[in-house]
Amino acid sequence: MSTRQAEMQRVSRQLVSGNRMVALGAVAAGCRFFSGYPITPSSEIYQTMMEELPRPENAGLALAAPDEISALAYCVGASMSGHKAMTATSGPGWCLMIETLQYALMTETPVVIAVVQRLGPSTGGATQGAQGDVLLTQFCTSGGYTIPVFAPSNARESFELTQAAFWWAERLRTPVVLLSDKEVGMTLESVNVNALDRRPVPERAAFSGIGRYVPYACEGMEEPPLFAPVGGKVKVVATGSAHDREGKLRKNSPEVIELLVHLQAKIAAHAGAMAIYEMDLQEGAETLVVSYGITARAAREAVHRVRATGGKISFLKLMTLFPVATAAIEQAAEGCRRVVVAEENLTGLYASAIQPLPGGCELLRVNGIGNQISPGQILEATERAR
Amino acid sequence: MSTSFLVQDAQLPYCKGCGHGLVLRAFGEALESLHLPPAEVAVVTDIGCVGLADALFATPHTVHTTHGRSTAFATGLALADSVLGGARLKPVVMIGDGGAMIGINHLVNAALLNADVTVLVHNNFLFGMTGGQNSAFSPEEFITATTPAGNAVPPLDLAQVLLASRASFVARKITSDRDLSEVIARAIVHPGFAVVEILELCTGFATKWNPLTGAQLKQVAEKAGYELGVMREEKRQTFGAGYKIRSKEVRTRGGQEKTPAKPFVATMQTAQRLVIAGTAGERVQTAATMLGQAAMHCGLHVTQKNDYPVTQGTGFSVSEVILSPEEIFFTGIEEPDAVLVLSGDGAKELERTGVLARVTEETLVLADTDVHLPELPCTIQRFPFRTATGPKNAALAAVAQWLDMTAALPMEVLWFALEERFPKEAESTRASIGKILQTV
Repeated sequence: MSTRQAEMQRVSRQLVSGNRMVALGAVAAGCRFFSGYPITPSSEIYQTMMEELPRPENAGLALAAPDEISALAYCVGASMSGHKAMTATSGPGWCLMIETLQYALMTETPVVIAVVQRLGPSTGGATQGAQGDVLLTQFCTSGGYTIPVFAPSNARESFELTQAAFWWAERLRTPVVLLSDKEVGMTLESVNVNALDRRPVPERAAFSGIGRYVPYACEGMEEPPLFAPVGGKVKVVATGSAHDREGKLRKNSPEVIELLVHLQAKIAAHAGAMAIYEMDLQEGAETLVVSYGITARAAREAVHRVRATGGKISFLKLMTLFPVATAAIEQAAEGCRRVVVAEENLTGLYASAIQPLPGGCELLRVNGIGNQISPGQILEATERAR
Repeated sequence: MSTSFLVQDAQLPYCKGCGHGLVLRAFGEALESLHLPPAEVAVVTDIGCVGLADALFATPHTVHTTHGRSTAFATGLALADSVLGGARLKPVVMIGDGGAMIGINHLVNAALLNADVTVLVHNNFLFGMTGGQNSAFSPEEFITATTPAGNAVPPLDLAQVLLASRASFVARKITSDRDLSEVIARAIVHPGFAVVEILELCTGFATKWNPLTGAQLKQVAEKAGYELGVMREEKRQTFGAGYKIRSKEVRTRGGQEKTPAKPFVATMQTAQRLVIAGTAGERVQTAATMLGQAAMHCGLHVTQKNDYPVTQGTGFSVSEVILSPEEIFFTGIEEPDAVLVLSGDGAKELERTGVLARVTEETLVLADTDVHLPELPCTIQRFPFRTATGPKNAALAAVAQWLDMTAALPMEVLWFALEERFPKEAESTRASIGKILQTV
């Protein structure tokens, strides 16, 4: 066998979309339940799950919901029975899901929602990309609770970050958003499927069955309560109303307030561990380019071009958007004079979420809607600043 | 309250004479009579006074949900249990008339699916917890906090809506019916979706403002044209049972990728960026994918970005394909290496989105003979793609022509990709495209 033939066997490239990789990543993570409602540009996730989950090896359930509210509610019900569950949507559907997302947050029910962004507001542009929902996924709860958000920039990351989304949803018993966009979701690209990182997600920590089950009791503020399924042997009390450890509605009780604080504390305590990013720093660089999702690819290209002409520049691609990877941003910005944040929305939504920048760095925003941000636009901003 | 399912001697959180207490007792008796293991019962409550019932259940699971959505959560529980679990769980929804209306879509879908969910609709004709506002179920002339001069809108007949939604068990009862618990028990054991609407009094508001007593509920029903009793009780396959049978029949769509006997080798050394533009439904994206597959067989990296209008089968269709020996970062195309234009729809879109403005002297532009294009910095090379090969093969013909002129990839690998995608038509397609290539 020639070296080239051996190489071809090792590398098995397939032309796949980010959407398809979200679905396959979910299956690899152990997702057993999917309910969907069609919406461009996320429909392929739904269609792929309808094909994949019923297969004997996956032994899952995928079905059509009559609307996005039902789609997420069905998932929450399935998750309460102990099954890993996911749905997928885009901006208009996401808006409808927010009520149920908050219910999942309050009842500490793991669920993954893939949001494939399109141009908004309202029904906006169905077949146009955008990164305009980044703060809508984050600040959608009463109380401003941190929803973990992972953002892939390509098909491979769509696969891997979907698994990460399941991992953290189950680990912390919380809803998690996988934030893709039309360009990442619908663009086909070659992926070496043999090199994908497959990580089945362990089952959520469950009640041992010994002693009395207290549904919302947890070990300290930073750990989720132990899980017992609705329909299992021990009685479960679940509620979306402010409750004590027993799940009883209480008003003005310190225990209830403590549990509300716990919902945030369990996310905040794991922020460091949740941070996924790619850091490519250059000694002596005065400019750091920060980006995520589809725009991170243009940013990477811009950085590549700067370096090709002998310039020095650092790059940080964030794959965990929330909780904000503060330590990574601090490390990357150290010694820099300016930070360029590139994203495809009107006002620099994510840039506003990571301010103030460490070390008094100047913030430069590269924004725009209607087209992918190009490497040229990012280069222009970095050159203007020099 | 004297069933093992309910908390003994519980203080009910309801006004004196409220129908909720009567329904609760009947529900408790029904559970008792069925001898169900409490762990196989999940009481799913909605918002409103009815949603205060959770704490009154001693042994079954309780899930207190959001307004109107209780049926949807219960449906998720039931579906997961029926397919992924032991198919033993009995979710029972307790919902009011307000919740039934805001969540009517969930009731309709649970009925259509025939999910194994029982819904007890506590219809007291108004919103009690929030101060007695009218609901979609308020009778005509009913006085409520928001209809001080009498309700002018006729009430919804939920049972008819759910009958039309193929619900397999539908009943409407009055709290004072002596067989209420028996009907609730029948609904719970019914394999599939069951709804029992129960007409009851809100003594906090309804009876204060309206001359209404328990004895008059029957007249209210008559005046509204409501049928009483069990209206339907029939066996129909549940979604879960049907799913298990059908899931064996799922097939994957699309062609089969093959491994070439020996690997193809690309001659191109640097990235090639192509824009292919034509009309939707004419296999523009398919041709781009075949080129991508061909490049992958040569070990190249590929991205394919498609654009089309909101409509599916009309208007333009544009694919941007990048082939590269290196990893591809930016998936857009700033300056195209080649532009293939197959139709007027495609040409107009390229002009509108500024692609043609980014064409340089170096760009290879191949266009169908009849397509109008503005003046460009490079020569436009014309070929009879559409007439020679038909509109559906024009894009692939242009791709073949581009390969023929640039030798970026061996032509054989494109034919290999064509064979993978369309094994039946591959030979004839290749022959018709071959004629164009020979004429140049």
